[in-house]
Amino acid sequence: MMQHSMIKLATAAVIALSAMGTAFAAKLNVVATTPDLAAIAAAIGGTAVNVKALAKPTEDPHFVDAKPSHIVTLNRADVLIDGGAELELGWLPPLLESARNAKISANAPGRVVASQRIRMLEVPSSFDRSKGDVHSLGNPHFLLDPLNAKIVAAHIAEHFAKVDPKSAALYQANLRTFNATMDAKLIEWQRTLAPFKGAKIVTYHRDFPYLAERFGLEVVETLEPKPGIAPSPAHLARVITAMKGARARVILVQPYQSRKTAETVARQSGATVLDMPQQPGAVKGVTTYFDLMDSMVGKLAAALAKP
Amino acid sequence: MSDVDLQVVWQVMKWPLAACLLLPPLLVYLGVHVVQREVIFVDLALAQVATLGTCLALLLGYHFDDRAAFWISLAVTFGAAALFSWSRSTHEQPVPQEAIIGITFVVAAAGVILMLSRVAGGKEELEHLLSGDILNVTAIEVGRRSLLFAALAAFYAFFHKRFALISATPATAYAQGLNVRLWDFLFYAAFALVVVSFVRVAGVLLTFAYLIVPAVCAVMLAEGWMRRLMVGWGITAAASLAGLFASYQLDLPTGAAVVCACGLALIIVSIIASARRRQGAVVA
Repeated sequence: MMQHSMIKLATAAVIALSAMGTAFAAKLNVVATTPDLAAIAAAIGGTAVNVKALAKPTEDPHFVDAKPSHIVTLNRADVLIDGGAELELGWLPPLLESARNAKISANAPGRVVASQRIRMLEVPSSFDRSKGDVHSLGNPHFLLDPLNAKIVAAHIAEHFAKVDPKSAALYQANLRTFNATMDAKLIEWQRTLAPFKGAKIVTYHRDFPYLAERFGLEVVETLEPKPGIAPSPAHLARVITAMKGARARVILVQPYQSRKTAETVARQSGATVLDMPQQPGAVKGVTTYFDLMDSMVGKLAAALAKP
Repeated sequence: MSDVDLQVVWQVMKWPLAACLLLPPLLVYLGVHVVQREVIFVDLALAQVATLGTCLALLLGYHFDDRAAFWISLAVTFGAAALFSWSRSTHEQPVPQEAIIGITFVVAAAGVILMLSRVAGGKEELEHLLSGDILNVTAIEVGRRSLLFAALAAFYAFFHKRFALISATPATAYAQGLNVRLWDFLFYAAFALVVVSFVRVAGVLLTFAYLIVPAVCAVMLAEGWMRRLMVGWGITAAASLAGLFASYQLDLPTGAAVVCACGLALIIVSIIASARRRQGAVVA
């Protein structure tokens, strides 16, 4: 472990030194709204980019507190990657307006809206804000499907090449490596979760449908009565009854959701609460997209295997 | 700091800076009134009622930035203004006005929680309403409010003698045959307009801080309206600059940083004031 981090440190130092000598000024400044997008951007950009995420790993990506550094970061960005589908609707537009950076304005080569090429789930047929935080463009938590991560990676590589043609070959090579790793990993993850096909799970918010669809799990209930609306006692009572009937035994929560609520429901229904942060960096040692999925799949399998 | 850095700082902070320098002077003036009337929490209560109005608008399906949200918020706040002017009386009565104000605050705050439990992302919206978004204030928002505040400042200046008399010695005002309730309502209604429009860019916390902290400092340090206003305005400008600087330099949420700078200013002023008093005692 120690040795490992020493090697990492040494590598980082070598990269930093060589970068300072030659390409430092030429590095692309890449900004991603969330750490998961930043992790994919870092995998594709490699040594040719500096990547920063605006939201902290433990922060709700729907609601990020605006800070002066966000505006400065956006002002200096060459590329901005956002999830889109209204995920950042509440906080990104005013920051962008303050940052005044044409390079990352809508439809510029320096702007990647990740959701654009994704087949979205849960696109509502009619839209009404009183139904809760229903995103009119569909559920924006799409990166938990590894195949969607591949689509986003290709999308990012294409824009990187447009903005920075001299490193295009590097981006292509990194994309190939990313895809090859993903294909191998996906088989592994599917094998790990295969015994639990059809297992019923409960989540706090509607943030796991893509994962559930890819791995054959079924989200039977959410603790929120409607997306974004705080759980009410009557709704929780209904959820507890439904969970007992459906034999759902795990409740997935994010760091920014109410663990207390989940624990209350778990006590009443005999389920276990599973911390499932969706962002790399929320847990120590989880830095890449693959680390993230490894940790999620591992945790899920362990919890579902319990008698 | 290099020139390029300064340019970035200026670009990021110029409108928050404008908002924090141009708008609060009127709040300081109102704050001195409020301290004299001993109804400190009236501004917190009004700010909270304004927020309640905004939540009502959200619940009705309007967006935070819609014109309608502003009018709904204002209408609800006028209701509270009417309540406060009605509940003030010259005659000794067993229930002090501060109690009505406190109750209004608590009920409005609880009402906000109830309403937001039915609005998507309510918990975060609540935090947002408290802490505001002064960092992302736009040129248009600052411009509009500056015009409105200038007009209201003219209104208060024109009737200043009357308002000052009612705030300081309501009994004398009654004796002179002034319609105290009517003037109180006008006072609170204009007050409500200030609070509603400022709360929407600055949040409840910063609004309260600007209303009360400079006024309290001014009352500690100076006598007379003009001197108190000067001291209050000076302290507002200093606290705003310090708060914005800290927010940028340490990368802190902007509104909260200015509120804490106001708190710090109060501590410094208290130390100065007590040192002066001790000196005065020695001399005497």
